[in-house]
Amino acid sequence: MTRFIIRRLLYTIPMVFGVILITFILFNVVGGSPASMALGKNVSPQALEEFDEQRGFNKPLLFGWWTSTRAFPEREFAEPITLLVGSNFTVPFLFPLRPDSRYRLKVEIRSKGTGARVRFLPGIWAALSDPAMDLSSHWQWGEFLFKTGTNSGAEPVLLSVEKGNIEFRRVQIERRMPHWSDSQLVHYFHTLARLDLGTSLMTNEKVTTMLKRGILPSLALTVPIFFGGLVLSVALALVCAYWRNRWPDRVFVFLAVALMSVNYLVWIILGQFFMAYKWHWFPIWGFESWDYLLLPVTIGILSGLGGNLRFYRTVILDEIYKDYVRTAFAKGMSPAGVLFRHVLPNAMIPIVTNTVIAIPFLYTGSLLLESFFGIPGLGGLSINAINSSDVEVVRGVVLVGAILYVVASLVTDLCYALVDPRVKLR
Amino acid sequence: MEECGQSLWQEAWRDLRRRPLIRGCLGIIVCFFLVALYGEIVYRYYQIADRTPSYSQVNLSERYLPPSLFRHPFTKEGRLWAGVKALAYRPWGTDNLGRDVLQRTIQGTRIAFLVGVVTSLIAIPIGVLLGCISGYFGKGIDDLIVWLYSTIESIPGLLFILAISMVVGKGIMGVYLGIGLTTWVGLCRLLRAEVMKHRDRAYVMAARSLGYSSWRIIFRHILPNVFHIVIITFSLRFPAAIGTEVFMSFLGIGVQGEPSWGIMIGNARLRLWQGIWWEMAAVSAAILLVVLAFNLVGDALRDALDPRLRSKEK
Repeated sequence: MTRFIIRRLLYTIPMVFGVILITFILFNVVGGSPASMALGKNVSPQALEEFDEQRGFNKPLLFGWWTSTRAFPEREFAEPITLLVGSNFTVPFLFPLRPDSRYRLKVEIRSKGTGARVRFLPGIWAALSDPAMDLSSHWQWGEFLFKTGTNSGAEPVLLSVEKGNIEFRRVQIERRMPHWSDSQLVHYFHTLARLDLGTSLMTNEKVTTMLKRGILPSLALTVPIFFGGLVLSVALALVCAYWRNRWPDRVFVFLAVALMSVNYLVWIILGQFFMAYKWHWFPIWGFESWDYLLLPVTIGILSGLGGNLRFYRTVILDEIYKDYVRTAFAKGMSPAGVLFRHVLPNAMIPIVTNTVIAIPFLYTGSLLLESFFGIPGLGGLSINAINSSDVEVVRGVVLVGAILYVVASLVTDLCYALVDPRVKLR
Repeated sequence: MEECGQSLWQEAWRDLRRRPLIRGCLGIIVCFFLVALYGEIVYRYYQIADRTPSYSQVNLSERYLPPSLFRHPFTKEGRLWAGVKALAYRPWGTDNLGRDVLQRTIQGTRIAFLVGVVTSLIAIPIGVLLGCISGYFGKGIDDLIVWLYSTIESIPGLLFILAISMVVGKGIMGVYLGIGLTTWVGLCRLLRAEVMKHRDRAYVMAARSLGYSSWRIIFRHILPNVFHIVIITFSLRFPAAIGTEVFMSFLGIGVQGEPSWGIMIGNARLRLWQGIWWEMAAVSAAILLVVLAFNLVGDALRDALDPRLRSKEK
């Protein structure tokens, strides 16, 4: 038993790690730096670099010594550029390099003809590697290391041809990190360990405070939907099970499929149009008193009813064909008695599992209901964030939702182990 | 084995055809499929002809035409052709920019089917491959795959899809990838459990003792025996994918610049308050019909193909 609990607890570690890793892959590796998204189109590369520096986007992804800089984005020429003997190529920096940092200039270069030689001239800065390089007529990478001085300045960094003619087709500049593990991934773990989910790109507000502010309105909407839907659908499922395969059951099952098939959007739009606008049963929009919640809750329950009803009906019918039910009938119990005294308690196990495991999803609120009815919860927040590509907010909501789910499934399993002696992990 | 498999499928097919409701649903699906195909042809035609498609052409003099079959009175000359034209001219009305609602709904059908098919082509191979591998080999690789899918499962589904498509970029590609890369989990889990049951059956033992490779055993011997799960999953995930696409396009991060159902709903929603009901009605009815038909057929397929359920019901 203790072993089970310990193993189950340990199992949450790779899960949480996996969630963090997936969000990292999604937002950092695939998404890249949101700088240009956040700052707009007409900003200087220096501002972008500062943004990256603040949020750690200018570090290497996983690990490594070298990282690219926006001062000179990697450039690949479609046609190789030819330099004749005695001429120079000046690396065009978009903004001054940082003081006191090591940089590396990489050029894909070759000699045109034979025996060419280039020399790297970093101005007043110190060259850390051999500045001269003899070239063959094959493409090769020339690497030149240099260190910037105490003052940052726009020193010209030159590549000068000493002998023969050369061609080059790719140029890049990389900055050396103080440590190889100083990466985006480590930075990400670091901020998460401080329980910091970053700041919104749009409003510059802490994501954690945004989440805290949104959680209550969200729960005010989702909790009534959840429990109302649960009670209603279990009750209807019992009705179906009682008259299984006769007309009330068939009607309900067909209705359930039909309800399920109506698109969620259509539910909301028609509900708002008819019940609030046409018939004036409910207020249309806003979040001022409890009656503003009535309509979204009603719509939420109705739209989820079909799927839930079918699920609970299957669960109850699974039980109904078991031997103990036959025994109960055989000793002369009434159908209703069997249903409520024997079947329902046994069916509660999968129902409770399903319920507990769905609880963490309550927190994200209802994406559409909130934005349609103007409820300032996390669903509306996420929708706005997605529409404005506010990566940090989306990531925060996704992360917290996923971790809540991991915790909820842990709690469910532990409760099972406590209650049901048959449960053992593998 | 081949024969045994066929008889299960044949029996299931017979079961399905006996029920009139399911026959109707299959008919609806076939009709919508043909409509989608027609939409694709129209779409390709305008693409090749390099013209603005008639379904996105703005015609401000014909805004908000209500649905009507006989918009133009019959004329004397060329009576038949004029009649056909009168029938076919904006039969389901026009929207706020004078575009034909019926044609746009047809294009919406095309996009919905495209999304259903393409996301299935992404999700089902992933689910089948990972599910079979993890069920058959077990041990470390099983742990790894279970870890992968439980991690993905723990992330709030819709938000995850939206986040993926936000990162990939707005457009139909984001819809494909978002839905395709997240919805293989259910299939993978089901197949893993089923393959585990089959792993130690006599026929697998026999194949193994004949020296067949693991891949051959998985894909030639076990997979045909669990393939009904794939079929059922397909028929149930198809409408779900359509629903998600509608949702995403409605939010504006799905299909761009083409009349998807979601975009039409977003458009029609604003006009509903002015009493322009036909665009909303057309789209809602189309979604309802397709999704309902798929759901009913999926249920019927599950009843017919899942022997465990069948023995219980009879």
